[in-house]
Amino acid sequence: MRKICKAFCDYLVMKKTLELIGEYYILMTRVFQKPDKWKIFWKQYAIEAYKLIIDSIPIVTIISVFIGAVIVIQTANNMDNPFIPKMYIGYMAREMLALEFCSTMVALILAGKIGSNIASEIGSMRITEQIDAMEMMGVNSANYLILPKIVSATTLSPLLMLLSFMVGLLGGAMIVILTGIVNYSQYVEGLQFAFKPFYIYYSMTKIAVFGFLITSIASFYGYYAKGGSLGVGRSSTKAIVISSGLILVFNLVLTKIML
Amino acid sequence: MISVKNLYKEFDNRPVLEDISIDYKPGECSLIIGASGSGKTVLLKSIVGLHIPEKGEIWYGDKLFTEMNLKEKKNLRKEIGMLFQGSALFDFATVEENIMFPMDFFTDWSYEQKLERANFCLKRVNLVNANKKMPAELSGGMQKRVGIARAIALNPKYLFCDEPNSGLDPTTSILIDRLIQEITQEYKITTIINTHDMNSVMEIGDKIGFIYKGHKLWEGSNKEILHSDCKELNDFVFASNMAQQLKRFI
Repeated sequence: MRKICKAFCDYLVMKKTLELIGEYYILMTRVFQKPDKWKIFWKQYAIEAYKLIIDSIPIVTIISVFIGAVIVIQTANNMDNPFIPKMYIGYMAREMLALEFCSTMVALILAGKIGSNIASEIGSMRITEQIDAMEMMGVNSANYLILPKIVSATTLSPLLMLLSFMVGLLGGAMIVILTGIVNYSQYVEGLQFAFKPFYIYYSMTKIAVFGFLITSIASFYGYYAKGGSLGVGRSSTKAIVISSGLILVFNLVLTKIML
Repeated sequence: MISVKNLYKEFDNRPVLEDISIDYKPGECSLIIGASGSGKTVLLKSIVGLHIPEKGEIWYGDKLFTEMNLKEKKNLRKEIGMLFQGSALFDFATVEENIMFPMDFFTDWSYEQKLERANFCLKRVNLVNANKKMPAELSGGMQKRVGIARAIALNPKYLFCDEPNSGLDPTTSILIDRLIQEITQEYKITTIINTHDMNSVMEIGDKIGFIYKGHKLWEGSNKEILHSDCKELNDFVFASNMAQQLKRFI
């Protein structure tokens, strides 16, 4: 009996998951259509670029400075072997920032910040019938509301990654100068040692994919929000949880494919 | 003219509308009335295509709406204006931008032309000097006026109003009702209003359809409604003790 119940529950979960994927796909087919007017699209693109990317610069900057500094301290503390040159501290900090922190960590931060913003914004529009009003006018609401968000986050989030990378290195430099944990010239030498530009492209590709995931998933949950303000809250939470989970999964997949 | 024929709509295998047939003529304010949960809003949203009915036909003039593809529906919607229960003004836009929104999409007018039209619509709903205000800064009555101004921005042939008086005081309600009636008669629009406000029914109900548990039980004008022998309608219209006492004198 227990086995039958478990099989039935698995079936329901599978069915629900497939339904969600289907709904997501249908929404995306509506999103990725030619905009009614390109002029309106580019205007919305600029607005979303400001809201999603430029507005995120302060938080990304602050976090990157501190993480850069912490990485340098931790690496220095773990490299007490006199046979390992000190310049490796700079090298390790650079690799950690470039490979993982500036793409995956920044994406997780963005999932919280812009994911909840998008889901609650679109969800509020859904429950106050603003989306119905657009549809009534003959406007493709999914295309008008979601496409500019997805395009701006996907195309501009790599710039946030670059910013985070540079600021993180500066944070490391700052702690090096302030504490003398390692000689500044050795730190800079480490930063320049065995530099592979491909790692930067890899990281930029990852964050572009994450940007797409965050905006499309948050928009999906917002667009189908129901149940009043509580429903909007639930949509925001789901958007953050699901997009964060998918960021980790896609991080693994992209790393396996690209490295 | 809009014709609804044998409309059937269900949610989760539960019928919400059954065998609804009714015609709506241009230049008339046609009202759909009924208690909360009777299916009024579902009927209105089915007519405008926000819900897809399981069975039945909806005709806009000689065009069968229920058989139209997305492109045809989109073209038809340029001829439709709708006022939503909560006004549904776009939070991100000013009053002026709200009214210009459909013009941005469906006209090639210059900014000056769109502004001129927006100002005309605002003047028509007796709302001037509110162009730059955000929806959150407006009272409920003002929001409804902006909603009407936006609905008539592209000279629609059809106007739909979902409970235009909800949340308004009786005086403002009557003003909004009269405004809708004036616009309907002036531009010969086919107007369908969803309401359970009896003041509206008596004031502007050129034609009234009473919905009860998903069925259309009665159809007539505001002059006929007081003399109907439909029990469910009388229970709805004369719900209060005071109204029941008044009925004895009619």
